[in-house]
Formats: sequence, C-alpha cells, structure tokens
Amino acid sequence: MPNSLDLGLPVGRTSSAMAGAVDHIRAARRHLKTMTMAAVRSLDDRGWVLAGDFGLRLLRVLLLLSLWRTVLPETGATSGMTRAAVLTYTLIAEAFASQLTLGTGIELALTSGDIANRFLRPAGVFGQFTAEMVGAGLRDLLLFSLPLFCLAPLLGVNPLPAGVGAALLFACSVALALLVAAALDFIFASIMVLLEHSVYAMMKLRTAVSALLSGAVIPLALMPWGIGEVFGYLPFAALASAPLRIYTGTGDALLLLALQAAWVAVLWPLAHLMWSANRERLVTHGG
Amino acid sequence: MSVLTTVAARWRVQAHLDFMWMTKDLRFFLINVVGDVILNLAGVTAVFLLAERFDGIGLWARDQVIFMLGYAALVRGFLDVGFSYNVLHISRRIGRGQLDHLLVQPQPLWMGLLTEGFMPFSGCWSLLTGAGITAWAVVQLGAGFPVQWWLLFGANLLASCAMALAFSFLWGALAFWAPVAAEEMSSRAVGFLYQLKAFPLDGLSAVVLTGMLTVLPVGFVAWYPSRQLLGIAAPHLWHTPLAALLLALVAGIVFKKGMEHYAQTGSQRYIAWGHRG
Amino acid sequence: MHRPDRSVTSPGDIAVELREVDKTFYQRQRSERFRDVLTNLFRPTIREIRALRGVNLAIRRGEIVAYAGPNGAGKSTTVKLLSSVLAPTAGTVRCLGMDPMTERVPYVRRIGVVFGQRTELWWDQPVAASFEWKRVVWEIPRSRYDEMLAFVKDLLGIGEFFHTLARQLSLGQKMRADIALMLLHEPEILFLDEPTIGLDVLAKRNILDFINTLNRERGVTVMLTSHDMDELEQLAGRIVLIDRGRIAYDGDFVELRRRFGDRRHLTIDTGTADPPTLAGVRSTGSDGNRHRYTFDAARTPITTLLQQASAQTVIHDVETHRSRIDDVIADIYQDWNTEHG
Repeated sequence: MPNSLDLGLPVGRTSSAMAGAVDHIRAARRHLKTMTMAAVRSLDDRGWVLAGDFGLRLLRVLLLLSLWRTVLPETGATSGMTRAAVLTYTLIAEAFASQLTLGTGIELALTSGDIANRFLRPAGVFGQFTAEMVGAGLRDLLLFSLPLFCLAPLLGVNPLPAGVGAALLFACSVALALLVAAALDFIFASIMVLLEHSVYAMMKLRTAVSALLSGAVIPLALMPWGIGEVFGYLPFAALASAPLRIYTGTGDALLLLALQAAWVAVLWPLAHLMWSANRERLVTHGG
Repeated sequence: MSVLTTVAARWRVQAHLDFMWMTKDLRFFLINVVGDVILNLAGVTAVFLLAERFDGIGLWARDQVIFMLGYAALVRGFLDVGFSYNVLHISRRIGRGQLDHLLVQPQPLWMGLLTEGFMPFSGCWSLLTGAGITAWAVVQLGAGFPVQWWLLFGANLLASCAMALAFSFLWGALAFWAPVAAEEMSSRAVGFLYQLKAFPLDGLSAVVLTGMLTVLPVGFVAWYPSRQLLGIAAPHLWHTPLAALLLALVAGIVFKKGMEHYAQTGSQRYIAWGHRG
Repeated sequence: MHRPDRSVTSPGDIAVELREVDKTFYQRQRSERFRDVLTNLFRPTIREIRALRGVNLAIRRGEIVAYAGPNGAGKSTTVKLLSSVLAPTAGTVRCLGMDPMTERVPYVRRIGVVFGQRTELWWDQPVAASFEWKRVVWEIPRSRYDEMLAFVKDLLGIGEFFHTLARQLSLGQKMRADIALMLLHEPEILFLDEPTIGLDVLAKRNILDFINTLNRERGVTVMLTSHDMDELEQLAGRIVLIDRGRIAYDGDFVELRRRFGDRRHLTIDTGTADPPTLAGVRSTGSDGNRHRYTFDAARTPITTLLQQASAQTVIHDVETHRSRIDDVIADIYQDWNTEHG
C-alpha cells in the first residue's frame, strides 16, 4: 500500500533496497505494537464484563438460529441456500461479528478530540487506526470467535467451512473485508467532518444500515423482491456477505473476492482523496 | 410544590433545551430527523423482509408481524423521547464519571434520571415512525379493536418501555464496578434488545425462551405482549406489567448497591466529551 | 445577597468539620505479560490506596482556606467528600451542621462546587440555557434569580458570551460561566477544586478578586485547592497542607514560612570578583562583582551576614528578598519526598 494513503509505511526512492526494507520493518513494528496495545486494552477491567458480553451474544445467535429453523424447511434449498448452510452462515456471522463489523474508532477520536494526538505520533494516521482495528479483531477472535465456534455442535450447527479451499479463501476475504471496513470508516469520517454535525446520530445510522445491507443478520439471498441481488453489489456486502458466502460455499468465491478487491481499489484512493482534502478540518473538528 | 409539579417543571425546562438544540441549525435538524426515522425503520426492516419473503413467520401472519414491529418501534420511540442524554445508556455516565453532575443537584437521583433525558422534539421522530407502522398494521389487520383493548395496549406498551429501561440500568450498573470495561454496557445491552426486539421467539427451546424472558428480556419488549394482544396466545395481559415491575425492582436493588459502592470508590476518571449528549 | 436559612448554625460556627476521616481506594494492578491475561481478568492483584488517613479539619464560617498538596495527596478526595459525592471509609464529615451523604439534597442547595476540569454547563447549549435550567432545578425564586444573575453578570462579565454555545467558550470564559452558575443559588460555602487551572494571569486575577469580594462582602466561606501557591497566599489567610493523606500543616502563611524555613535571597555588590565567605548560607553564584546567596532568615539574621561580608570586603550595594511561596512549598514537597524515600 503506498504511503500516499497515510498508512505510515515508507515509500519512494530509498538509497538502497536494504534501507527500504529496514524502514518497512520498523514501520511494521510500530504498528504491531499499536495492534498489541489495542488487543489488550479492554482486558484492563473485570473479566465478568466480557463473560456477560459473551452471554448476550450467545443468546442472540440462539434466537437467530431458532428463527431460521422456523421459516426454512429442513430439506431442500431456498434461494440456493439449504437450512444447514443458513445455520452455519448465521453462526459464523455471530462468531466473527466483531471482525466482520469492525470499525476503526475514528468517529470517536473525532468526537473526543483524540484525533489531534494521532498526528503527533511518528506513524501514519490511517495505519494507526487500522492497526488498532486489527488488534481489537484479534482479541475478539480469542475471546468470542473460538469459544462460539467450539460450542456450535451443542447448538446443532456444523461450524465447519464448505472445504479446505473455502477456509483459505475465507481468510483472504476477511482481510479484504477489514480493508473495506477501514476505508469506509475514513470516508465516513470525512463526510462527518464536511457536515460538521451529529457525529453520534450518523454513527448509529451507519451501523444500523450497514448491518442490514452487509448481510450480517439476514443472508442477502433470502431477502424478498430480489433486493439482495442489488445489495450484493454495494460495498457493504464486502464486509460480511462475501466472506460468509465463501465460508458456506453458497457463492462464487472468486467472483466475490474480485468484487471485494474492486471495492478496496476504489475506496482506498477515495478515502485518501477525501482525507487529504479535509485534513486540516479534521484536526480542527477533533481538537 | 408537589412531586408531579416539580417533575413537570423539570420536563418543561428540558423540553426547552431540546427545542433549542434541535433548531440550532437547519442541516442539523434535517440530519437528525431523517437519521432517527431511518434508524428506527432499520431496526425492524430485517424481520419485515423475512415476513414478506416467507409470507409471515411461523404462527404469525405477515400483518401480525408488522403490528409487532410497530409495537417494538413505539417502545424505542418512547425511550428516545423520555430517556435520551445518556440516561438510557446509564453506564456511560457512570463509567465516564459524569454521575457527579447529578449528585450535586438538589433533587433525588431518580428525579434527575427521570427528567434529564426528556427530549420531546428530537425524540418524537422515532416515536412517530413507530406510531406510523402500528397504525398501518392495525388498518391492515382490519379488526375494530375495542377501547378496553387500546387501554391494555397502552399499559403493556408502558410496561415494555419500563422493561427495557430497567434492563439497561441492571446491566449498566456493572459500570459501578468496572467503569472502563462496562462503560458501553448499557448501550450494548440496549443494542441487543433493539436488534432482537422484533424477532418472533416462538421457535425457541423452553430453556432459551426462559432466558429471553429473564436474563435478556427481549420477549417482553414486543413479542410477548403482541402475541397476547393479537390473540395468538392466551390473553394474560397483566404478565408484561408484572414482569416489568419485578425487573424494575431487581434493577433498583442492584443500582442502589452500585450507588453504595460508588459512594466508596467514586470515579477515578472523568471524560468531558459526550456530557449531556 | 439573600442569605438562606442558617438556623442550623449561627455565624462564627464551624462550617466544615472532618473528624478522623479515612478514605481508602482499591486499585487493580495489571501484569504486562500476555500469559497473565486470565489472572488479570479474574484474579487481579489489588493495591490499597489510602487517600486520606485520620484527617481532622475544621473551617469556620467566613474563612477562606487554601487546601494544597502534591499531586495525589488527597485534595480532590476531600472536596468530593464534602460535595456529597464520596462517603468516608471511616470518621465523620459534617458541613453546615449536616451529613453530606445522608442529607444530600438539602445539603447541596447550600453549597457550591466547581471542579476546575469539568463543567456544569450544558455542552451544546447557549450559556443562558444552562442558567435557566439551574433556576428550575434548584428552584430559585425568579426575583432572587434575576438579582443574582445581574450580580454575576456584572462582576464576572459573562454578559458578552451569555448567548454563546458553551462548547465555543474559551477556557477563561467557561470558568467564569461555571463560577457564575455555581453562585446563582447563593451558596453559603464554596468548594473550588483548582478553579484557575489553565487560565492566563489576567483571567486568574479576575477570578481571585471575585472570590475575595464574595468572601469580604457576603461572608461566603471558601475552601479552594490549587497548585499555584502565590495565588493561594494572595487569597487565603490559612493554608492546610496535605501530604499522602495526612494533614501536614494547618496554619497561616507567615507561620508556614517560619516553620519550614524563611528562605531569603541575598545579593551583594563588592569591589572584587571573589565572593565573601559567609557562614550559614549557600552560594548560588557570582556575576562579576555581584554575588548571590540563599539563607534561612530564621536561623541566620541578615545583620550577621552583612557584618561578616563587610569584614572581608567593601560592600557597594545589598539586595534581599523573600523566596516566593511557590519555592517554599516546592522545598517542603521535596523534603517530604526525601523522607518517604
């Protein structure tokens, strides 16, 4: 990723390839440290808060599973999805809910004025936020995803992917989803600064709309009037629907990955453009 | 001055503050109005789409599902009107050390909490959305409901709101003991209620259903009262008010314990931003 | 100013009384090692912090008391105990004849609190809206409100930004507005926790003058904390120093200087670059024929020093001045740190 995207990675002509590599390693180490800090940050307090959170999420997935068992026939496929596939889709959506709906926290940094501090650190601003987002995702992988994955058989759900290939492509798809999520966050932050208003209202709105359009709650294929087909081409679908369809083998993996990659290619430059145009206003807004 | 007059006076001043806040700028006004309507609609759209796709859900006909969605949206609307400014998200106030602002005011804490979040002008858009969906469903259902039914509907609606509020305070009280980790606990708990409030729970196993009517009382926010109001289940219409009373009692006890703890520990952190909305 | 009912206490009574007050907090400690994650989560190490230890303090009505101490000494904890936010772990807290915890509502009607780093103003509203809100919640009669509003507007000059959104105020304006808001209900006692933090010198002086006026003309009792000792000396007749939860000094500033060393600076101009050798002083350097010293005036009279110097060389000029109170207190804190290791 070029430095012009403010990831904090060194680019351009360096005196030698070796020096360039060393710079890259140093930049990566800085971001790795930030990532680690983000991963342990919310472990600073009582463990039972996390346990309570896990309980809430477990209840949510139980409810969604029961809903699908109510509306879908036990055998046969509905809009190309069997009941077993939908149950796996739902469970994996919940297990990876944190990773598939991650935000960078840039909106909060704008609200609190913390954004100004980010410019004082010797690392790219996008890079800092992305590293924090990935760190939080790793923590949730350990605390939520794996335990829920292990509990799946007890809930009557097969948590395994459609195949080894599907699992590998799922990992790639999640990485692309994270990149799309970060880019959307930065674009959204720029829009908020342009509007200069209502940070919280906009945040809530985006979360609600993206949960619906991303297919995290209801698989897009099961929506009426064929609107899921349309939603599938929106960037939100790259956040959850694409990796989940790849995992459950209910979509063309290569096409879905290509769509995600296309959104990364479109959204990151756009994010950079809006960010650069707004840089001064961003700091003023935050500070 | 009687308690009611005092509460009314507090509500009046909050309504005034809210009006001034909402009308400070046209763009701000429009963003908030459109945002609230879309937000409340988005909260029930998923289930609506399912009901549309499968022509109802289990025992529920399509229009009955829409009634339940309207009921759920109304609950949210009432909470938006009565308990904004982070009163519903009480763990934020506790976790951010902002409870002290209420403690130095010469009024009982309950009165501060009951009145400080009153935002009739900014909250009404979400309420109107809920009212609109409910009205549409009632027309679609085509049943002329008697006055007694509407009274029971009102009582259940009030109880459902109380249930959600008590649930938020119950979980939010965790912030007394873990201010950082539980700062967003109320938001998370309420978020879960809001996400799941519109789902029919009929297919759940008895154990999970019990959980959904106790630990996470999603069922009482819309599903349980709606199925009784619509005659899908036996009409025990006093169940929801009774459950709300019990949960409020538990939440009150836990919150009081939390306050006693707070009197010993206070808040070791203070976050200025976000104070009072 | 309208005086609220003071039947509970009479003028000259004790306004604030802390008896053998202890306040203990518990703080979680966290290991940095990843393998300790589970221990951190479920069996964390707890450290006991004794914020106040056996504090005894009495403040009479009409006094201005400076409450000072190093960071973490227990100043803000004391103010929170007196503001009905915190309960003591042991001992009793009484203020205006009331128990701040059990009689919170009637009690807070009679006190005013400002936390320098917080604001009571409604963030996204004009200042005027917060004032109107306060009138309703504190149930201030309209005529009293109007009178007090005119009073604070006049003395604190808040009229110029009365209709500005609170979030758009400068730090100094915000503090003035917060103090004005605090005074609307005519409190009998003010607890000011670092009310001048971050303010420029002029804004600081205006706030201090105002507090002084309130105390002098209206008999309002004031307890304020600050890290600016010069400011405290200007304002308060009495200073209470707290160190690690214990009252280390309670008295006036003159006695404080005397007890902890009345440090002075002496500059002597002589005809030579060699500084005179003086007993009982510390040389702080020479600049040509000007020689500088510091000494404790309580132990070494200045006349003795001048006699010693004139016996060694010709004295052309002499300057002497007292240390700023900031330096005195800094020395005291330094001594405490050394004592505690």
